[in-house]
Amino acid sequence: MQLDFAARELTVKLVYYGPALSGKTTNLQALHQASDTESSGRLMTLETKDDRTLFFDLLPLTFKGTGGLSVRLKVFTVPGQVIHASTRRLVVQGADGVAFIADSQESETQHNAESFMDLKENLKANGLLLKQMPLIIQFNKRDLKNIRSDEEIAKLAAQGREPVYLAVATRGEGVVESFIGLLHLTMSHLDAEHDLTGKFGISTQGLLEEVNQKLGMRKPVSEVLSAAVGGALDVLRPVEDEG
Amino acid sequence: MSTQASERSLDELTLESKLNLEDLVDRGALREMVHSFYELFRIPLRIYSEDGVLLSDVAEQPAIYAYLNEFRGSREALLGLVQRVKSIDPKVDGEISQPCITGAVYQVFAIQYDGRQIGRLILGPFRSPEHREVPRSLLDLDAGLDIAKLKPLLGQLPLAGHDTVSHIARHLKGALDLILFSGHKALLTTNMHLASVRESFRELQEKNSKLQEAYNRLKELDRLKSNFLATVSHELRTPLTSIIGYSEMLAEGIAGDMNDEQKEFVTTIHDKGEQLLELIMGLLDLSKLESGTMSLNRREIEIEPLLQDVASTLQPTARKKGVNLVARDSLGLPGIWADPERLRQVLLNLTENAIKFTPEGGTVELSADGTFMDADNDDGEGGGMVLFSNKRPAVELTVTDSGIGIPDHEKARVFDAFYQVDGSSTREAGGTGLGLSIVKRLVDAHDGRIEIRDNQPHGAQFVVTLPRRRASLSG
Repeated sequence: MQLDFAARELTVKLVYYGPALSGKTTNLQALHQASDTESSGRLMTLETKDDRTLFFDLLPLTFKGTGGLSVRLKVFTVPGQVIHASTRRLVVQGADGVAFIADSQESETQHNAESFMDLKENLKANGLLLKQMPLIIQFNKRDLKNIRSDEEIAKLAAQGREPVYLAVATRGEGVVESFIGLLHLTMSHLDAEHDLTGKFGISTQGLLEEVNQKLGMRKPVSEVLSAAVGGALDVLRPVEDEG
Repeated sequence: MSTQASERSLDELTLESKLNLEDLVDRGALREMVHSFYELFRIPLRIYSEDGVLLSDVAEQPAIYAYLNEFRGSREALLGLVQRVKSIDPKVDGEISQPCITGAVYQVFAIQYDGRQIGRLILGPFRSPEHREVPRSLLDLDAGLDIAKLKPLLGQLPLAGHDTVSHIARHLKGALDLILFSGHKALLTTNMHLASVRESFRELQEKNSKLQEAYNRLKELDRLKSNFLATVSHELRTPLTSIIGYSEMLAEGIAGDMNDEQKEFVTTIHDKGEQLLELIMGLLDLSKLESGTMSLNRREIEIEPLLQDVASTLQPTARKKGVNLVARDSLGLPGIWADPERLRQVLLNLTENAIKFTPEGGTVELSADGTFMDADNDDGEGGGMVLFSNKRPAVELTVTDSGIGIPDHEKARVFDAFYQVDGSSTREAGGTGLGLSIVKRLVDAHDGRIEIRDNQPHGAQFVVTLPRRRASLSG
């Protein structure tokens, strides 16, 4: 997070993490498509010639915010392939929130787990703790065969703390819901840590409503947030505040 | 634990608060683009960075300005106007008109990227179609100004409607935005590339230094081990010599007669003492060989007498075990360049070993043959290899037994110190487990080779190949 008082800007960094080919870039493309031209900048993709992400994708989103402070969201993806470990470590630096995009296919379960451990390691290398990081998990590719069942995911999600979303990013389904969920967690976390509401009059709810509308959602924010199939959207507090 | 370098580059990369127009575009390319717009519309245009640096300028001074500069009053007014135009801030996405003293207009536009203003575009002066007359205010600036001269000069100013100018500005900004985006992307890619390389380099360096540390530690341990062996062997030998000496004297009855049982005990003490000494000597040799402090006393030696000597030395041992020991005739073989004492030790060890592992009634045979071995002509500097023969005359010394043989997978390991193929049979046969490892090192020290072949139908064949002459280069 960066606060520029002179420019009256709050910049927040969100990172889409996950194994190779799980649909991180597709999520960003869908977000880009859903957003109105005023809020969204160009989607920047640093990719190789075979369309695989080389370094990262970057989608800049700008919102008016409340309290006279505009909110700039920088949404990144990391390259999923194992060889780009150092790039992932660099991209995850300074992240304010992470969306973990998992591949729903049964055969990808192991890769999901490995990538998640990798995320944990890379956060640690940057002095960040996974348990303090606002995190949502998205099970993408729900339209494919041989996927982990809704029941299985719901059952496991109910035991965890991270909100879990189901999505078909290629059709844009569940993409905005996941994003709003991530933004909600991230902003609540930043608010609890830096008292954004008290000091700058930034209202998380107000921002969510603006983003929700700019991303073309017709449902109210509360309904969008309730798309999560498990976890909790309000329990996240910095660890030092506990007890 | 992130390094400072990668941290900085990531800040540049992601949340940078300020992007500079001049960092994102190539000035030469910008000038070309601005020029082509000028060619197309003939309206002067300038691009300023956010800090007020003029990045591109295709405006020629209008003839009317040259004329106005001739008179003091109008010159000052013109100067003030230019300063004003330069300092206009159109705010993000804004557009501001600034009238010129001639009645023409400047139009100032904000250049923005990623929601922030990063520069200004100034179009003008141009005059609108309605504007044909010389304004009264212009004439008032200086009494010397002549309306008859001003009018045609005014007519030379480019003509454009406000909408047209906005249109031009929109397209120019659109083209510029694409260039900025590409420039930004290239900048990010470059930074990311550098950061990645730095990060990988740091990782590799960390691993390398760990490996180097481990290597140094192992080397130090190895040195300590050799030192320890040398010291211990030496220190053990001294008291042992006394034990052997005194037990021998006792056994010989120098200190008085002993009964048979006492004699047997003392003889056992003596024998075991000798055995222990042998082991210690072996250790000492090994540590010398490992530390490279054993010096070879090489000279030209004959093979036949050497084989005969070894055979006769071990004949009693062989006979005691019921093993037939023969040395095949090797007369006529040329001599070899070796340390006679050490080579004798090699053959003694191998032969003793062979006898040890050959059952009663078996045969151990010593033989020698002329052969060739691949020459190692590389003196470390390489080059000139073609000048040397790659075959080097050599002698093959073979010790063949008809014993239990050595399984293939054990063949390379039997030369390790203290390694024994099968603990049980070794214990039965006795031995320290050092013999072969000493043999291997002695052969190496002679630039020779040792290998184990199978002796059909059973048994093993130890073949030592030694160069006949000193190596052509290494001496």
